[in-house]
Amino acid sequence: MAVRVDQPVLPTWKDGTVMRWLVSVDHKRIGILYIWSAFAFFVAGGIMALLMRLQLASANADVVTKDGFNSLFTMHGTVMVFLFAMPILAGLGNYLVPLMIGAKDMAFPRLNAFSLWLYIIGAIVLLGSFGATGGAARAGWTAYTPLSGPDYSPEVGQDLWILGLHLVGVSSLLGAINFLVTIVNMRAPGMTWTRIPLFVWAMVAQTILIVLTVPVIAAALLLLLLDRQAGTSIFLPDGGGSAVLYQHLFWFFGHPEVYILILPAFGIISEIIPVFSRKPIFGYKAIAFSSLGIAFISMIVWAHHMFTVGLGTSLNGYFMVATYLVAIPTGVKILNWTATLWRGNITFSTPMLYALGMIALFIIGGLSGIVVGNFPVDYQVHDSYYVVAHFHYTLFGGMVFGVFAGLYHWFPKMTGRMFDERLGKASFWLLFIGFNLTFIPQHMLGLMGMPRRVYTYDREGVFEVYNLLSTIGAWLMALAVLVFILNVVKSWRSGVRAGNDPWLADTLEWYATSPPPEHNFERVPYVSSHRPLRDLRIRLRGQNGG
Amino acid sequence: MAAQAAWAGNGGIAPPDSATTSGSAINDVYWIVIGVTAAVFLVVEGALVWFIVRFRRRRGTEFDADGPQIHGNTKLELLWTSIPFLILVAIIVVTIVKVPSVDAKPPKGADPLVVRVESHQFYWEYVYPNGAVTVDRLRIPVERQVQLELVAYDVAHSWWVPALTGKRDAIPGRTNQLTFTATKTGTFRGQCAEFCGVQHAVMRTEVEVVPGAEFDQWLETEGAAQAAGTSDLGRQTWEGVCAKCHGLAGEGDIGPTIAGNPALVDAKGLAPLLAEGRDNPQISGYMPPISPGWPGSQLEALIEYVRSNPDLAPAGAAQQGG
Repeated sequence: MAVRVDQPVLPTWKDGTVMRWLVSVDHKRIGILYIWSAFAFFVAGGIMALLMRLQLASANADVVTKDGFNSLFTMHGTVMVFLFAMPILAGLGNYLVPLMIGAKDMAFPRLNAFSLWLYIIGAIVLLGSFGATGGAARAGWTAYTPLSGPDYSPEVGQDLWILGLHLVGVSSLLGAINFLVTIVNMRAPGMTWTRIPLFVWAMVAQTILIVLTVPVIAAALLLLLLDRQAGTSIFLPDGGGSAVLYQHLFWFFGHPEVYILILPAFGIISEIIPVFSRKPIFGYKAIAFSSLGIAFISMIVWAHHMFTVGLGTSLNGYFMVATYLVAIPTGVKILNWTATLWRGNITFSTPMLYALGMIALFIIGGLSGIVVGNFPVDYQVHDSYYVVAHFHYTLFGGMVFGVFAGLYHWFPKMTGRMFDERLGKASFWLLFIGFNLTFIPQHMLGLMGMPRRVYTYDREGVFEVYNLLSTIGAWLMALAVLVFILNVVKSWRSGVRAGNDPWLADTLEWYATSPPPEHNFERVPYVSSHRPLRDLRIRLRGQNGG
Repeated sequence: MAAQAAWAGNGGIAPPDSATTSGSAINDVYWIVIGVTAAVFLVVEGALVWFIVRFRRRRGTEFDADGPQIHGNTKLELLWTSIPFLILVAIIVVTIVKVPSVDAKPPKGADPLVVRVESHQFYWEYVYPNGAVTVDRLRIPVERQVQLELVAYDVAHSWWVPALTGKRDAIPGRTNQLTFTATKTGTFRGQCAEFCGVQHAVMRTEVEVVPGAEFDQWLETEGAAQAAGTSDLGRQTWEGVCAKCHGLAGEGDIGPTIAGNPALVDAKGLAPLLAEGRDNPQISGYMPPISPGWPGSQLEALIEYVRSNPDLAPAGAAQQGG
């Protein structure tokens, strides 16, 4: 179709400030919308956690109703995993991947926008569960059958939960395919597979996992919906179905899911540590391949979530051994990051503090994984607060600290302004101290016999003290998030202007202006290593006779 | 109280001291795993903190002063791939050696006490070999192997008494075994560990370990009393089954007030309600079917208990029951 260029360009309905965001297919705007939405859900999920911690601050408390508490932990888990963690990584990935590989946009910009809006619609459906007759879903984020089935959760909230997750799942799937196609096809000239940034490697491993496992949970949820609405009995033992089958399907997705969340955070750390140590990453290939290794192994370990189901010693033994294998590539990453610090010139800027905090906390979460992954020991700690502590060390200590590191690190790129270092450091220390105060005592509570998902307990003494400490820690974390929000608002309005490359970093996104224009680059330098910007700086220094 | 002391244990640095052989075997594995991981923690976290402190930017050094451009070291990569591998193999071997003591399968020809554990929303019904039942409170002999046959009538539950041994799920459609031998007498508390619905948090249990002779005598007496309708099974059923949702005095909680309700003593009307539950999506909440699996004497005992309790009995029912 021919385009007439001689007509005056009139503003249309698409040109309002708000509309330009809503109809945008620019990967950066979509990325920022993802990040904002996900952050809003992070705050919502956090408020649910704060309410739960108030209820558990003392024995026999009466802050929320019993059903209300059960809805809170169900929705806290669901919101944090599906509405915060996955989308905020999609947001960071959206913003960064095309810039990092020197592309003008994602491979399928419209599909990209579709993924975003599908996610928003899914989130509304999911949270609509709170407004439904009978209240929000309350069968746990795992929604085990038969509890989540028609007899024991007849409320429509459970159906909205399923439908919301379907929409969000399709959104993730489309987004993942978009990332893979983009990374395979749209890399800058010279950017071979051993020259792509490690964050992009992490996104490759993550999106492969999404493509392989999200369809499984989608199928499981569809079958659950049929059990609820069409009278089938796939997961209902009363009609000849299998409750254990649901657990297998859920965890076949559910375990890789935790790597879907942690791998991009690993990628963020791999970008930040070298920049603030002024060294190349130690063991580029080892880190890149360990991402793929983790992704693969994570798909054959799922039933370590089912050690107490009674699968028998041989199966439990197999899943323990497979689980322990994950520790090897994960350990490789941690040791390579640590080696990167060696003889470096370490600056404790806010992103670096978060990155170092992430490593320190993830070590703990990884090691407590050896404890829960041991099936006889798991007979004691399974479904107890020990497990709650363990996975918060990996997902909050690991993933969320990694995300905060990334948000601070790329804030200047996204907004064109620097953040406030003092507020940044305050938010880090509040979060670091609050986090440990919240979750260290939960290890002890689990070993003392506190099951997860209980709205009350009747034990006093040290048991109650641990619970109280945990609640105080949770509120410190809330304060840290408030300081972060304050920092973002203040800095976005009046922060010091950032140049293209305030950190003197090594990757291509820093070659673009801050914020980058639509289509990112006029042209990109030829890529001859995994640190193209450093190569460019050295070339320029040579030309200037430096 | 003894039960409270056993709860408090060691302040949560390890599972509580176990009163069974299998639980003790789990604790042995725990201490080995925690010892190894603590050592790894000290080395790795120590190196991290040491490097952070040692290689921090010093006053007078530019932000962008490069460190040495070291890209990696294959020997180191191999080293820190193989050392964790060997550590993990060691943990796996030690674990597998301990597994038979954890599983504690009864040897051939052994005669364990088999107790069927029928899990319901939100109580445990223990069925003994002579047909006697108890609600929420399990009584077992010391120094004799006990085999629990775990079943569930509605949703999944998990039986967990930390001071005895690890947990085992009770899942509808399958029967799980949990075997252990108690090594000391006492009362031990536990609760359901698999989220099972609104009152999951109060699905508690107590296990009383008593000398073998005392157990045998109790079981015989209890069996005869339940057959004759003179046991306190009615009270146990009220407190364990009804009261968790309707309140100890039937005053209503998440379930409606039922104190004084004539339906409580109407066996014909009550039986189907308890067997089928009441499912009404129009109201928030529902009543699960709670009596499947009950011996006939249990409903009678419950009605008898309600009649005899002036707080619960409907007007006129007490005399009627005589």
